[in-house]
Amino acid sequence: MEGPADIVFRASGLTKVYRNGALEVHALRGIDFQARTGEFIVILGPSGSGKSTFLNIVGGLDRATSGEAWFEEHQLTALTERGLTQYRRDHVGFVFQFYNLVPSLTARENVQLVTEIARHPMPADEALALVGLSDRADHFPAQLSGGEQQRVAIARAIAKNPQVLLCDEPTGALDSATGIKVLEALTQVNRAVGATTLVITHNAAIRDIADRVIRFADGRIVEEIVNATRKAPSEVSW
Amino acid sequence: MIPPLRRKVLRDLRRLWAQVLAIALVLAAGVATLILGNGAYASLHETRARYYEENRFADIFADVTRAPRALLGEVRDIKGVLEAEARIVRLGLLDIEGMKEPGSVLFVSLPGDETGLNQLFLMEGRLPDPQSAREIVISDGFTTAHGLGPGDTLPVVMNGRQRQLLVTGVALSPEFIYALGPGQMMPDPRRFGVVWAPRAALEAAFDLEGAFSNLVLKLAPGTDPDLVIEALDRLTAPYGGTGAAPRKDQISHAFLDAELKQLSAMVKVLPPIFLLVAAMLVNMTLSRLITLEREQIGLLKAIGYSSRAVAQHYIEFVLLIATIGILIGMAAGTWLGAGLAQMYARFFSFPYLVFLRDPQIYGLAAVITVGAAVGGAIQAVRTVVRLPPAVAMAPPAPASYRQRIGWVRRLVQLRQTGVMVARHLFRWPLRTASSTLGVAMSVAILVASLWSFGSINFMIDVTFFRTERHDAQIVFGVPEPQRALFAVRQMPGVVVAEPFRQVAARISHRNLSKKLAITGHPAGAGLSRVLDTALRPMDLPDSGLILSEALADALQVRPGDLVTVEMLEGRRPILTLPVSGISLGYVGLGAAMDIGALNRLMDEGPLISGVNLMIDGSQDAAFYAAAKAAPKTETITVTALMLERFQQTLAENITVMITVYVVLAAIIAVGVVYNFSRIALSEQGRELASLRVLGFTNREVSGVLFGELATIVLLAQPLGWLIGYGIGLAMVAAFSSDLYRVPFVIEREVYAIASLVVLAAALVSALAIRGRINNLDMIEVLKTRE
Repeated sequence: MEGPADIVFRASGLTKVYRNGALEVHALRGIDFQARTGEFIVILGPSGSGKSTFLNIVGGLDRATSGEAWFEEHQLTALTERGLTQYRRDHVGFVFQFYNLVPSLTARENVQLVTEIARHPMPADEALALVGLSDRADHFPAQLSGGEQQRVAIARAIAKNPQVLLCDEPTGALDSATGIKVLEALTQVNRAVGATTLVITHNAAIRDIADRVIRFADGRIVEEIVNATRKAPSEVSW
Repeated sequence: MIPPLRRKVLRDLRRLWAQVLAIALVLAAGVATLILGNGAYASLHETRARYYEENRFADIFADVTRAPRALLGEVRDIKGVLEAEARIVRLGLLDIEGMKEPGSVLFVSLPGDETGLNQLFLMEGRLPDPQSAREIVISDGFTTAHGLGPGDTLPVVMNGRQRQLLVTGVALSPEFIYALGPGQMMPDPRRFGVVWAPRAALEAAFDLEGAFSNLVLKLAPGTDPDLVIEALDRLTAPYGGTGAAPRKDQISHAFLDAELKQLSAMVKVLPPIFLLVAAMLVNMTLSRLITLEREQIGLLKAIGYSSRAVAQHYIEFVLLIATIGILIGMAAGTWLGAGLAQMYARFFSFPYLVFLRDPQIYGLAAVITVGAAVGGAIQAVRTVVRLPPAVAMAPPAPASYRQRIGWVRRLVQLRQTGVMVARHLFRWPLRTASSTLGVAMSVAILVASLWSFGSINFMIDVTFFRTERHDAQIVFGVPEPQRALFAVRQMPGVVVAEPFRQVAARISHRNLSKKLAITGHPAGAGLSRVLDTALRPMDLPDSGLILSEALADALQVRPGDLVTVEMLEGRRPILTLPVSGISLGYVGLGAAMDIGALNRLMDEGPLISGVNLMIDGSQDAAFYAAAKAAPKTETITVTALMLERFQQTLAENITVMITVYVVLAAIIAVGVVYNFSRIALSEQGRELASLRVLGFTNREVSGVLFGELATIVLLAQPLGWLIGYGIGLAMVAAFSSDLYRVPFVIEREVYAIASLVVLAAALVSALAIRGRINNLDMIEVLKTRE
């Protein structure tokens, strides 16, 4: 299944069924999807629409029930546990709603945690500079605000120079001013590193900063909008 | 209906069963050792006391060569003497066909009547007819070893004459609970037995008509035995009295005392270790449980439960753990106690063993254990009481870390995962320290128990291969002139024969004095050597004494000091002699001189007490026969047989002892490591899952947790060695007595074995949680706030 050279992700007929005893929950009901290199995609949808499940599968954290997902020449749906770990390690940067920083490591050390095991990392300080946190590098997570913690998480995600950046509700736990800062960091990184960026959000206002917007509902992609122009995060309001 | 909080206690117990069990087992080990130690001590003590009481065990024992029966009246008149009995006690040789190695029997005249002292406990058959010249009763262990019983005949050599005696009964005596033959180091019922015979028969056999050779005295309560001994020694001196011994120096009694001393040392050391470790584990585990249930605690308080009720809930949880531990410990302690009693039954000849299941001991063990568990819980429960509901229901403040590991980083190049390990260990210094101490304790238990086997080997090496290097030793009934040596040299198989002289003496320094035998060695003797503390052979001075370390310590003398020596044989000269050196020796108290110098002091001519021999192994049977037939021979000891018996007895117990100690140590190691891992995993599960998300492999993630464990376990090793060394040193002091002293030798293997056992236990417990690390739910941690 070869596609155009600048296609990073391809998925076709992706389904995911959670079984809980006799109960079956269809989280994904056949997703077809493609993403190009450097594209900034916002994924919208209500809770339980399958967007996180989708992101987890393309991020190598979860397995599909059927269908195929490819990252470049790697068929994610065919990789072993070990292969998925290697895929996350080499290619994917994650940002989550609750930051998931290691509390016993300072900001810089949290970034170094990743650069130590990455193949082509950037210096940790450079990653922190990209998110505007150079002066907070020696602080522990407990000493940082929520927005700062999330920017550390972004720095940690991009420090490995990932091909893809996957963000699940990165502004979900933040107020709007802080959220804007985080989004700015994300768009800037997207431009600087050229990583294909997928951002899940509840917040429809964010859609304007994307190249493309995908809407999930009931396990399916129900809408896809390509923005002719992208707004800067500071221009959106919520 | 069970109240909901109590139901929660039960569910928590079930949910945390593995951790609960690990803690309960450590508590159980404390309870078991407490019950075992105290129970065995009380049993042994009680059995002995009852046996002594019922069989009228004497308080003072004295040997003479030959004293007229008329002397007994004077002895009875000594102030404080309730009863005195004159006996005949003499050694003889076994003459059993088909038993080529030599054996001894001790002839003891039967107690006069029912009021006599040292009454026998008849196991089988009947007592001999007082008029019979042939009838005897023999000791129980000896009977079993030779398959004898009433109606059988026992061939012996008495006073140089062969006799066929008729066994009428089998008995035990409080005098021979620990029946040690002459020159033996451990009871050997095959080669040593006690034979009780009517005194008339013994009088005749040993040419002691109207006389006696041994006195036993019972004192009025509250009498000072030393005063009686002083008076008694004055009376017996003209008749070859070598000084009376109080009950505490009676061999059988003293060995039992040494055993009791060891038991009480064990009770002082082991249970506190387990209870301390268990208290630490309770503290660690409960603290974590309370942290995890913070919001529930807030909720309970918010809906109206009092702080007290919530605290009580956690105390109940701990009490249930303690109860499980106590029940397991009591069962194990009782079971092990029965096993120990059987071991005693093999060593000590008791007619019965009162194994006390004293409810007081059980009650005490339970109270102490509950105390330790609740003590461990107190600090954690206090946080429950202090926590205001509003604060409790908000998520806890994130753990704050500080840099403070800069020096670690300067020492070793750490990756970030290494930094995580180091910061965690420093974040909870108390927990790190107590876990390290816990693991160290399990190492210490092993070091403190396993060293003794190496020490015993060292003691054997020094005693049998460096000091007493003879194959056999013949001791004469009375000192003999040099001729006797030539006679021995003529015996078949004798390669080298070296004489020695032994004289009973009392050596005093200031107000300290000890009774022992001074041994005279010929110059350049090779079969029985005197070694200095560096194991080099010592030259024996022309005048002056060489004292064994134990004796020098007991008398508080150093080389160059003068001691008063009162010879208790012959003309009984009293002399002042210089101490010219200190020698090594682990068995008994010893003093050595040049044989010529000793004989000059005694002024009796060149006499010898016995001969040390090197025997041609191919002719040993012929040698034994000749030695047995020689009329002057009183005892023959064979070193190889003694050593064999020693090692055999040791081997019978060593496996059991090592198993017990390894299990005890493993319980601690597993308890500490498993609980530590579970708590660490519970605290860091989220971080570890996040690392998995970032692309760390299972192995790398396990490495973070195992890194912490490894640090603790490794830090614990040298600490454990040190603590074990300290406990061992204290035990050496507790174990040494006038009978033997234990060299403190810890071979390197002991440290290695202790560490390997503990490392293996730690590894097993770590592997037990590996599955949990591998199954960390990555998606779950992304969805939830901590």
